[in-house]
Amino acid sequence: MATQQDLEDFVTQVTCPDDFDDFWGGTLEQLAQISLLPVVTANPLRSNEDVHVFNVTYLSLGGLEISAWYCVPTKGNGPFPAVINFPGYKSEPPVRRDWAKQGVAVLSVAVRGKLMSSAEFNPGYPGLLTAGLESKETYGYRGVISDCVRGVDFLHSRPEIDPERIFACGSSQGGGLTLITSALRPEIKAGVAGYPFLCCYQDAMSMFRSYPYDELACYARAYPDEEERMLDVLRYFDAVNFAPRIKCPMVVGIALDDEVCPPETSYAAYRALTSHKELWLFPNSGHGNAHDYPAQERAWLEGQIGLETVTS
Amino acid sequence: MTTSADQFWYQTEEALAEFPVNVRLYRDDFYSQPTWDVYQMRYTSADGATLFAWLSVPEGRGPFPAIIRMPDYGSVHDIVYTPLRERAVVMNPTFRGQRQSDRVYQAEFPGLLTDGIANPDTYVMRRVFADAIRAIDALSIQAQAQLREIALIGSGLGGALALAGAARRRSIHAVAANTPMALGNPLSLESGLGYPLAELDDYIRLYPEQRDAVAQNTADLDPLKIADKITAPVLLSIGINDKSVCPLIFGERLADQIPNCDLRVYQGAAEGGGHEHAQIQLSWLADKLGIG
Repeated sequence: MATQQDLEDFVTQVTCPDDFDDFWGGTLEQLAQISLLPVVTANPLRSNEDVHVFNVTYLSLGGLEISAWYCVPTKGNGPFPAVINFPGYKSEPPVRRDWAKQGVAVLSVAVRGKLMSSAEFNPGYPGLLTAGLESKETYGYRGVISDCVRGVDFLHSRPEIDPERIFACGSSQGGGLTLITSALRPEIKAGVAGYPFLCCYQDAMSMFRSYPYDELACYARAYPDEEERMLDVLRYFDAVNFAPRIKCPMVVGIALDDEVCPPETSYAAYRALTSHKELWLFPNSGHGNAHDYPAQERAWLEGQIGLETVTS
Repeated sequence: MTTSADQFWYQTEEALAEFPVNVRLYRDDFYSQPTWDVYQMRYTSADGATLFAWLSVPEGRGPFPAIIRMPDYGSVHDIVYTPLRERAVVMNPTFRGQRQSDRVYQAEFPGLLTDGIANPDTYVMRRVFADAIRAIDALSIQAQAQLREIALIGSGLGGALALAGAARRRSIHAVAANTPMALGNPLSLESGLGYPLAELDDYIRLYPEQRDAVAQNTADLDPLKIADKITAPVLLSIGINDKSVCPLIFGERLADQIPNCDLRVYQGAAEGGGHEHAQIQLSWLADKLGIG
């Protein structure tokens, strides 16, 4: 199990490219040229007396159609606070009726490659982490991150949503995407990043032999001549480099026995935050399974949103 | 007396027997490691469905113990790392509709749990259990690695599939099931549960006239109905706050009915014992497989 001292002693090898802001500024400009074209379709099977559930689609980078679950409270006229929920690496986005029942709209984004958004981009799992690694322009995560940014744009465009109360959360890959998207979209007012993935790729790929990071080690072993270029590309997608650009309050939750996302790498992202920040450490917990994490996440976000905490 | 569940399993075995297993293995150079080889494995299940599995084989001559990690409820069943991989053959099979076993049928999540549920002949989950049995058969006859004992592990749906596999195949040496899904048990039809079991209540809310059909067509899959047929030792973990996969009362009843069950109850929800239990399970498996 990692100790807090291990976390503090860790120094990442990852550096920030000089043209990092230019690259992402260019990507956001490219996104802005694409009409969102949102389509919101009621889903009677998943809706109940407390929550309207909708299937949402919108356009993202490359004109790809991205799907999402959208849960909206049935009670009250809004505008509602909203949480955007980013998915893990291999899991499908959840239908979050629990929060919607408490008066909070929730958008769960199926980034490209997820089942609902896989018609045009489907590298598979494993496979996503190495898809398009040839250049920063072609890397699959450029699209994945864009899909998250567009999810924020969707919420911001909705009349039933309070644009001043949009929050973000996710675990594992969803944690990494929470950090990254919060840096790119100041519309996000606070976020909780659990067990964040996408942090310090260069270090993480050699610390453990577990997936998904091991996909990168496999890539480096299969294409040794490409490793240097791969590591350079990954710097543009590393949450450690996004963290100092985040302006809103942020929580990072770390399990000290995490064998998927090394705790040291998640801590490096936490340390790089310059906004108001909180660190939750979970001893004797592994990746995604700290018993107290879901309740803490919920309570903290409810505090930011201004709701009274409701124990589910 | 022949029960409905007995009849279901008889029909399932007959459906499996209609097609040869036809195992095909392809070494995956990209994901193979210095100390174990990774194979893409394909084989045939009921209805002629082609299924995919990841298979890893340690370096060395064997024979090796084997672990089948039954798939949970979701589209992806990946090449999860386990430190036992260097000493045991590890198979991660998929069921129909999951990624790489989706050429004919692509499952939705949520959605799979009620797909075709109005009719026992169209209810996909009944074939998902057939696919789990087929995975054991496929591993048993593959020619790449010589095997010793086989253990089944799984969480959620994977836990239920592992228990079913052990009930149907006496060759199974040990089972470690975490929070096995209560699909088929009347408790799974209660409202107020979380996903995935909440899919059943969603369906009944929209189609109230189908309530009896849902109860009948899932009932044969209730792990309680095969629990007493499991001869292998079972390590079972549950969480007292689980309201979405394996409600506490269901897990306790299950433990009561499994002849040789070591039940561990934790403070968790659907994650069961989480990290703490993962360490216990690892030691337990290593001990049962003689690789401690």
